[in-house]
Amino acid sequence: MSLIERWMSRFSLEQLKMTLWRTAYGNKDTFLSRLDPRVLLIWYVFFTVSPWFFYDRTVLVALFAVSLTLALTSRVSGLILFLMGVSTFMNLVYIGVLALFLGGSGDAFLALITLTLKLLIMGLASVAVFTSIDPEKLSDALLALRLPAPFSFGISYGYRMIPILVEQYQDVFASYRMRGCPPARKGILSWRIGYYFCKICVLAFYPTLLNTAKRVRTTVEALEMRGFTYTLVSGDARRLKLSRMSIRPIDGIFCGLSILYVAAAVWAGHQLAL
Amino acid sequence: MSDIRLSPGSVNPQAAVEILGATFRYPGADRASLDGMDFRVERGGFTAVIGSNGSGKSSLCKALTGLIPHYYSGDLEGSVKVAGVETQSSSVSQLAYRIGYVCQDFENQLVRPTVWEETIFAPMNFGHADYEERATRILERLGIFHLKDRFIWQLSGGQKHITAIAAALSLEPDIIIVDEPAAELDPFHAESIYALLKQLNEREGKTIIVIEHHTEWVAKYCRDVVLLSGGKTVWHKPVAEALSNVEELQAHQIYPPQVTQIAHSLDVGRLEERYPITLEEGITYLRNVGVRAPTNNAEMPASPASEGEVLMRYDNVGYVYPTLDKKGHCVFDKLSLSIRAGDRVAIVGGNGAGKTTLLRMMTGLVKPQQGELSLAGKPLRKMSPEQTAGQVSYVYQKPENMFICDNIRDDIAYFQKARRTDIAEKLTEQLMSRLHLNELKDRDGRLLSGGQQRRASLAIGLSMRPKLLLLDEPTASLDVVSRKETIGMLEKIGDTIEAVVVATHDMQLVAEWANRVLVMHHGKLVADVSPSELFSNEAGWSSWGLMAPQVVELSLGLGWKQAALSPERFLEQARSNRTEIAEVNQVVSY
Repeated sequence: MSLIERWMSRFSLEQLKMTLWRTAYGNKDTFLSRLDPRVLLIWYVFFTVSPWFFYDRTVLVALFAVSLTLALTSRVSGLILFLMGVSTFMNLVYIGVLALFLGGSGDAFLALITLTLKLLIMGLASVAVFTSIDPEKLSDALLALRLPAPFSFGISYGYRMIPILVEQYQDVFASYRMRGCPPARKGILSWRIGYYFCKICVLAFYPTLLNTAKRVRTTVEALEMRGFTYTLVSGDARRLKLSRMSIRPIDGIFCGLSILYVAAAVWAGHQLAL
Repeated sequence: MSDIRLSPGSVNPQAAVEILGATFRYPGADRASLDGMDFRVERGGFTAVIGSNGSGKSSLCKALTGLIPHYYSGDLEGSVKVAGVETQSSSVSQLAYRIGYVCQDFENQLVRPTVWEETIFAPMNFGHADYEERATRILERLGIFHLKDRFIWQLSGGQKHITAIAAALSLEPDIIIVDEPAAELDPFHAESIYALLKQLNEREGKTIIVIEHHTEWVAKYCRDVVLLSGGKTVWHKPVAEALSNVEELQAHQIYPPQVTQIAHSLDVGRLEERYPITLEEGITYLRNVGVRAPTNNAEMPASPASEGEVLMRYDNVGYVYPTLDKKGHCVFDKLSLSIRAGDRVAIVGGNGAGKTTLLRMMTGLVKPQQGELSLAGKPLRKMSPEQTAGQVSYVYQKPENMFICDNIRDDIAYFQKARRTDIAEKLTEQLMSRLHLNELKDRDGRLLSGGQQRRASLAIGLSMRPKLLLLDEPTASLDVVSRKETIGMLEKIGDTIEAVVVATHDMQLVAEWANRVLVMHHGKLVADVSPSELFSNEAGWSSWGLMAPQVVELSLGLGWKQAALSPERFLEQARSNRTEIAEVNQVVSY
């Protein structure tokens, strides 16, 4: 077997599916998941926007430390951290090359690193928050923040559909493999095999979507019978969902500490700069 | 014969459902799906609706839930009343309080991630502040409260079905329609669903309407039967009388229970008006007419130790399926078996027993985590699905997954064309005419009926000219005629095929077709026997959660040592006895 074939056989959609599920539903007892989802969402917006107002690297490093800690304590899946790690590393390499190529000094490198740092803060915070908040809470929080009901339902239904879609895709993909024929000549670095796999990866989407569309017909009927359209107009479900959410002291403490921490970081940054 | 149907115009406040002269045509359809249908079910009734494909069963369901005419626009004529309310002047959401509907592909009806969310969904949408109490009550009544925090995808088929029923009951409707409860479930789970419906009917007075192909369930649980044909009601009769109309039912492509078929065949002079419909009745009836065990019934044919060449060998194979909690679920462990040329193997076992994994492993799609697998002596571990394809072909349970082209013809030709063989055209033509697909060849597989899809998927499997053909639940979700057709096709398929392996819940298929049965139970291969050995060992099959075909239980109930596996076999063995009796009777009557 060639390298690509070996890689293809080891990479399993099954594992990917499990990772997605764990990320979505698997973390019910982390610190962030104890917070009210609305507060968490607002905090998240603040935390991803604020880095863009600071140019002081001390502040940014402090923010980075927080998001890294939260990401590590939220039991983010290894796959996602790995992908992030790889992309950051590639980013650094590219920045280094760019800085050298432009004949710049360390300054150019440092300036570009600041950007990477900001992106990393955003990325880690996103991963931490969305691993901790399950799709149900997310959808309720968005509903509470006055986003349209079909949108928030779409999020929770989307998550419900992911395993079904992946399974469907897997089956169709296997159909292509069981009836297809990989090229006899592998080409340099087995590029022909790679091309063969890429091609069926794309082709398998079409039957998957058609099959899913057919199944969804029943779903739409069920939604109709169970008052989904009714509640879009009456808003009853929104009212009931809001009444089961509550902001507790822990939410206040968390927000307060976050603000104090940022303030302290800004102050420390000034001290160091002076 | 008494006919329950009332004349048009009579009004009865006791009716749960009353349809008079309903006519409906889907927009753009050639013919009406409801064509002057009359239908009536009393409050507290347990009614079965039967009829061949296209008889208007699913349109009836949609009319009762109000989806026709509120969601599917079109002209509905006549009157459809549910619990006294005219559906036309009501709405789908108002009707949801009166009637709950569980459809055949119930998995797609579940829209929320957990059992609890699913059950509170409707009460919450309709603004009931006590949604939590409602859901708790229903889950407790249905006995699944302990599952409330489970994710839908963690549930077994039977549990999903009960969840769908719970969701349908969450608004406390008095009427429940269940479309083919037994279609997607193994017999053991189907039995539990029926037991639940019976309980709802008897204890809580709910009106139950089921659409059902399997008349054995109808006989056991329902009180009356409505036969539909071409969008019309043919008749509505009490169950015993309904199922005794053997010839009329068969003309509508419905097969009565095996005991009824047997009694009907024995009654050569057509003297009886009513035949036994349940197992107990059948045993009494056949005892009374003097059917005894055949004299040579004691010996058991030894299990056919096939001498053919070994096609597939499992050697201590183990497989663990990844789960959400990272512990993993052991599908099977240290499994060893071999499949030889000439075998017709049926793999049986409950939902989740690992049957599908076992089959897929033979194609190279799933690699064993322990042990070795070999295909015709070569290790399978190193072979890709593309490499095994010429020797092994796998036909999915859901035929849709095999339709990767725009039409059936291209799908059948795909394998040979990909390999640029010169037989592609000829083989495709040949398969299409053999499996009666010529008229369908330009259609997309997804748009065919269940039976047609199954034929097409079989043709795709055969187009690979395999030595070993693997079929996953080839008869699931098929009506009885398509089922018979599929079994008939299995009898005579493929000149290249040396062995066929089928994973199935369908014990009639096992009894009538297989020559070897592998029983999977809790990740172990607990039996490797012939069908007659399996079904004669009642202690065995019942402890493995299997259910035998009715004719097997009938012959065992009559005290036969070796069970008859099909009504035909039963009649062959019993007939000699019966003719003697018939002759004696004649003599006496002279």
